[in-house]
Formats: sequence, C-alpha cells, structure tokens
Amino acid sequence: MIRVGTLFWLVLVSTTAFAMFGVKFQVQALEDELARINKTTANDEHEIRVLDAEWAYLTRPETLSAMSRQFLSLVPISTKQLRTTVADIPIRPPPPAPLPPVAPSAPAETQTVVALTEPAPVMPGAPPSGHDGVPLLGPAATKMEAEPRQTKSALSVMPALLEKTSSTPQQAKVAQGRAAVRPSPPHRAKSLDDLIAQIMASR
Amino acid sequence: MTIAAQAFDDNPCRPRHFRPPPCAPVIPEGPARRALEGCRTRLFFTSVMFACVFAVVALRVIEVVFFESGTAQSHMPRLRVPAPPIPARADIVDRNGRLLATTLDSPSLYANPKQILDAADATHKLVRAFPDLDAAEIYVKLTSGKSFVYIKRHLTPREQYEVNLLGIPGVQFQHEERRVYPDGTLTAHVVGYAGIDNTGFAGIERGLDTALKDRREPLQLSLDLRIQYVLREELQRVIDDFTAKGGAGLIMDVNTGEVLSMVSLPDFDPNHPGAADPDHPALSFADRMFNRDTLGVYELGSIFKIFTVAMALDAGTSTLASTYDATHPINIGRFTISDYHGKHRVLNVPEILMYSSNIGAAKMAVTAGGQRQREFLARLGLLKAPRIEVSEAAAPHFPVKWREVNVMTIAFGHGISVTPLSFASAAAALVNGGVLRPATLLKLLPGQVPQGQQVLSPKTSEQMRKLMRLVVEHGTGTMAAAPGYVVGGKTGTADKVSGSHYVERKLLSSFVAAFPINAPKYLVLTMVDEPHPNKQSHGYATGGWTAAPAASRIIQRIAPLLGVQPVDEASPEIQQALAVETLQGRRVENY
Repeated sequence: MIRVGTLFWLVLVSTTAFAMFGVKFQVQALEDELARINKTTANDEHEIRVLDAEWAYLTRPETLSAMSRQFLSLVPISTKQLRTTVADIPIRPPPPAPLPPVAPSAPAETQTVVALTEPAPVMPGAPPSGHDGVPLLGPAATKMEAEPRQTKSALSVMPALLEKTSSTPQQAKVAQGRAAVRPSPPHRAKSLDDLIAQIMASR
Repeated sequence: MTIAAQAFDDNPCRPRHFRPPPCAPVIPEGPARRALEGCRTRLFFTSVMFACVFAVVALRVIEVVFFESGTAQSHMPRLRVPAPPIPARADIVDRNGRLLATTLDSPSLYANPKQILDAADATHKLVRAFPDLDAAEIYVKLTSGKSFVYIKRHLTPREQYEVNLLGIPGVQFQHEERRVYPDGTLTAHVVGYAGIDNTGFAGIERGLDTALKDRREPLQLSLDLRIQYVLREELQRVIDDFTAKGGAGLIMDVNTGEVLSMVSLPDFDPNHPGAADPDHPALSFADRMFNRDTLGVYELGSIFKIFTVAMALDAGTSTLASTYDATHPINIGRFTISDYHGKHRVLNVPEILMYSSNIGAAKMAVTAGGQRQREFLARLGLLKAPRIEVSEAAAPHFPVKWREVNVMTIAFGHGISVTPLSFASAAAALVNGGVLRPATLLKLLPGQVPQGQQVLSPKTSEQMRKLMRLVVEHGTGTMAAAPGYVVGGKTGTADKVSGSHYVERKLLSSFVAAFPINAPKYLVLTMVDEPHPNKQSHGYATGGWTAAPAASRIIQRIAPLLGVQPVDEASPEIQQALAVETLQGRRVENY
C-alpha cells in the first residue's frame, strides 16, 4: 500500500519535473526567437546600409540638378528676391467693412466679401465639401459656387481660379491677399507676431 | 535490552516485511560494542554534515526563488546577444549627415576545385553569368587542384543571387566588405579612397585610417556636399572656358577654420581609382590623384600682396596714407620688377593693393625689412606644411637666405610657394580679426571655436577688410562683385616657373574672396592653372578675368545655402563700415 507521504513526494517530484521542463522548453523557444530576431535585425541593418548608399547615389547633387533642369522650371533665387525679409512685408490692410448679406443672385464679388467676413457660410445649392475639404480655396470656391449653374467640385475649381486671378494683376493681388489670410481675423493684426498668432489660432 | 529492541522495531528504514525476531536482540559486549558505537558516531557526524550542506542548498533555493528572482529584464544582461557585425570601417558623412563613404557587404566568389565535379560545365555556367570572365582562365583555375581560387571579387547582391541560382557544387562565397562612395568624383580628393582590402590609400581615408577602423559611428566632416557641388561645377566651368590645365578651390569658415568645400581638378572616381577618365583619357593617374589644395605648392602671385600690406600696416612701417613711387620699374640683379598695366605714378597703400602694383608692394616690403617679413609669414603659418586631416600635405618652398631680392619678390608672391590651404588659413586670419586657427576637415560642435593664435592686431585686420573691399569696388577684382554680399578680395596672376625661369604665357590665376567683408563669415579661394585667354575675356587670362568671376558666381550660389542675408551695399551703414579714412572725399580712380 502506497503511503500518503510517498504519494505526496511522488506528485511533488513529477510536478516539479514537468514545470522545470516546461520552463526549459519555453526558454529555449524564446532563445531561438531571439536569435532569429537578431539575425533579422542584422539583415535589416545591412539592407538599410545598402538603401542608404542607394539613396545617396540617387540624390547626388548632379542628378538632382539635371532632374531639376529637366522637370522643373525653377531658377536659382536671385539676390533681389532674398533681400526682402519677413520684416519688410507690410501688414495686410484691414478688410473692407462687412456688407449686409445679399441674395444668392448678387454679383460674385459681393459674395466673396461676405465669405471673408463670415467664415465658410454654406451657400444654397453648393456642395458642402467645398468648404471643409479645401481650406485654402475657400474664398475662391465660394466665389465660384456663388455663380449660378456652378456646381463644380473643388478640384475642377482650381484651374478656373488660376484663370480668374491671372486675368488682371490688380485682381490677382486682391485674390492672393484674401487667400493668404483666412478665415478673416476677428480684429486687425497690430504686429507681425500678432498676425502669426492669429493664423496659428485659425488652424 | 527492550529499549534496543524497540528501537530496532521502530527503525523506519527496515524492510516492510521484516519483523524483528521475537527474541531480544543480542547486544554485543566488549570490543564489538565499541566498534558499533564508533560506527554509529561516524554515521551521526556524516549525516549532520550532509544535513548542513542540504540546508545550505535549500536556503539558496529559497533565496533564489523568493528573493532574487526579479523580473525578466534583470536577467537580460546575462544573455549572450550576438552583436551585429561591425563594419570594417566607419561611414564618412558630410556636415549635414549626407553619406560620403560607406562600407557594404560584397561577397567574393571562390571555388574549391577539389569539390568541383564537372569543371567544364561549371566554367560554362560561370561565364554565362559573368560575361566579363575569361573562360579559359576560369577552366585553368577550376582544374588547378588547389583548394581555394578566387573567381570574382566583390559581387553585387544581384550577382550573388544569380550564382546561387546556378547551384554549382564547390563554388562558395566569402564574406567581404567593400568601400562605396555614392558621390563619386565630387569629394574624391577630400575623402580619398580605400583599397580592396579596406586600407585607406588617399585623403581622409588614409589620414584617419586607424580612427575609421576603430570607430562605429560615422565620421562627420566639415564639408557641405551642396557647396562642394557648386564649387566643383563653377571651377570646371572656368577650366572649360579658359581651356585650363586644372584648378583648385577652397571654401572656409573664417571664424572656425572649418573647410566647407575643397575641390581639386582634374579628379578621379574613388569607386574605380585606377580607371581612366572617359572624358580625358590622356590624363595620367598621378595627375588626377594630385590634390592641388594641400599637396600642390604654388607661387600664388599678387594675392600674396595682402600679406605684404598687412605686415607693413601691422608693424607700423606703413600707414594707409604712405605713398610709394611706382613710376619706374625696379632693377635688382637680373630681375626687373614692373607693374602689369601700371599707373606709372606715385601710389598710396590702398592704391597699391587696388591696382596690384608689384613695384609698390616690393618697396613696402623693403621698408618693413626682410626679417620682419619672414617673421610675419612664419607667424601666419606659411613657412611650414599645413596641418590637415588628409594624408597629403606639402611643405612650402621658400629661400633659405632671405635676401633683398627675395624680400621684393615675396612681397608680390613670387619666390615663395605655398599650398592653397595654407594660404586660405592665413588669409582667413587676416580678415577675421587677426586670429589664426588651424584649418580642419572635421565638423566642430555648434558654437565650438578652436583655440586660435592672435597673429595681427584687430585694427590691421579691419583695415585689410576695407582695402580688400576697395579691390572689388574699384580695383582689379571688380568682376568678383556679388551684389548684396559685400565681397572683398584680391586678384592674383602669377607666371609659372618652368625650370629656372618664369614663363610669360603660363599663368596661375587666382582670387581670394571673403564675404560679407564688413563682418566676414566665409572665405572663397579659387585658383586656375594655366588658363588661356578666350574671346569673352578680351585676350586676358589674369585672376581678375578668370578666377574672380568664378568667385562671384560661387558666392551668389552658396550664400543662400549658407544663410547669408544679402544687404544693400549702398546703405550708409555698410558704406560707413568700409570707408577708408585716407581716401575720404577723394575720387577713387578705377583700375
């Protein structure tokens, strides 16, 4: 007859053995995984080195300059362009006094002013994405939408905007001025810092 | 008795089916009893010792399990993590972290001919994979009976893949590393190159060979690749325009001594240093390897006059108002010192520099004296080889006996040959307030300014800046003007020595510029070797027509990259800062 004590020790020994081997195999598996990961890391590191070299080769100044000549119509910045500093740019004059809202059939110009003073009003019949989707095009988009029969998407508005703004320089300047500061500031910027703060707050 | 029997019966180790005999056990008497007692004592002590040892083990187990187990992290350091293989050489990067040289694995293909089963088939397969291999040679190698022959060294990953596809038994890869220079010729002379077994053979690779082998993190140079590109392109343009033999250029931060760019043309491709240049097959390997900035010593000509004037002003032997008669050439010994397009009148010091008068400079130097001149040049580090990280640095040539004729010729940069690098360091000291700092190709930490040596007074330095500005405004260097960047500089045109005499037609034209000269930040040195006049230059190949326009173009292109804000040169502040007192109210005659 097996005594209780013997049974107890037998169970204890076998439990311990099972536990020990279990842990051992677990550790082995982990070590295998670690070795595998280390190997992958070394491989990846080597691949990164190759890619770095590749990148450096593909972005040689020679190559970039040749590509820039071929694909971009950019020329080196002239000294004249650089002489103007941020401090030299005048603060934009305050927007004209807000006009009372008018009917949708009113001229486009009036609509734009309204759009500037009251940020993103939803025009009747205009797709709502025109305001939220393309923030910089906001005023122009509004302008286009305000015209009857115009239900273009924001993307198709872009060439039309360019056409529009480049028609007369005066008009272009005005449109640019509007596009730069939007939505219209709640009060006139007193300094450049103030202006920047406003722009940051509006984002 | 009964006690003993009882003890026997209670013995837990007794066999289960063994019962003590019914009779009382025999208790031995006499010697047997003593032996039994002794045995018992020994057993007792042994068991106590075992118990102690097991107790220690048990305690240790308890301690390990309950008190020292900790978390998995605490066991991490004991793990042997195989470190990724260290590349044989550290990378080299430019000051913006742009890769200039790196080490990549490129296994070499070798064969063990003893294991090759079918040499003819293997040769056929290998030659099909690498058409540049010679079939006969490979066949000889594969049948040589050796146990190791290289078939091809430094395979690309794609080539390695193709060889694996061939599956030829006995053909194996050997792990090797190879130096790769993504920018090729652009930084050839600075970075240099390393050979097939990763030993530096030129440039930084050779100069800092051990450092590159020891370190793991990239070595950062002071070089700016973008500026290097601009300098090389513009130099190449001048060389092409004037069909020159070569050229050299240096751009240096005057306040720290960092070399931002160093170009020597013609150059070589460090990836294939031995290969001939496809555009100029006639150029020799040695010619293309030659670093004109650090290894070439040149009689630089008139750009040396800035040192003569600075020496005279610093020593007090001349002032800005001093005048020297440059009406007639000086005859001394077999030499005649005359002016190129001279004014033939009495000139003051600013005019001597502006119109680059050899006569005036010679007379100034004679007034100051040879001893003083020699000391001054030595102080500027022009009489010893430059200290720089690249392995190529040449010692200057200068007369051992400093006679009067030497004093005169050295005054306008003949009779002394220095490296352009030494010249640039000295010129930087001249404009930066008089502090000479060693030129370096290694990037300094932001704000770190190496210990310099005050070699001339800040006042002289300020005067030199004003005079160098005059040269560009009204003198020989008007073509170096870069509107907005307030360039100051000095032209140089030297006749090259051929054998023992000077050759009129062979020139070395140079220009040293600093900008913005009212508070100098950068120095640009351009040098063109043997330029020939072209139509645009009206028959001139002097420094003012070759190197100066190049300097102007370089400055206009690099200034935005270096963050130099252009200013209005006509503004009162600038004019005030650069006004030469002795010339005030006088109209300055243009060159």
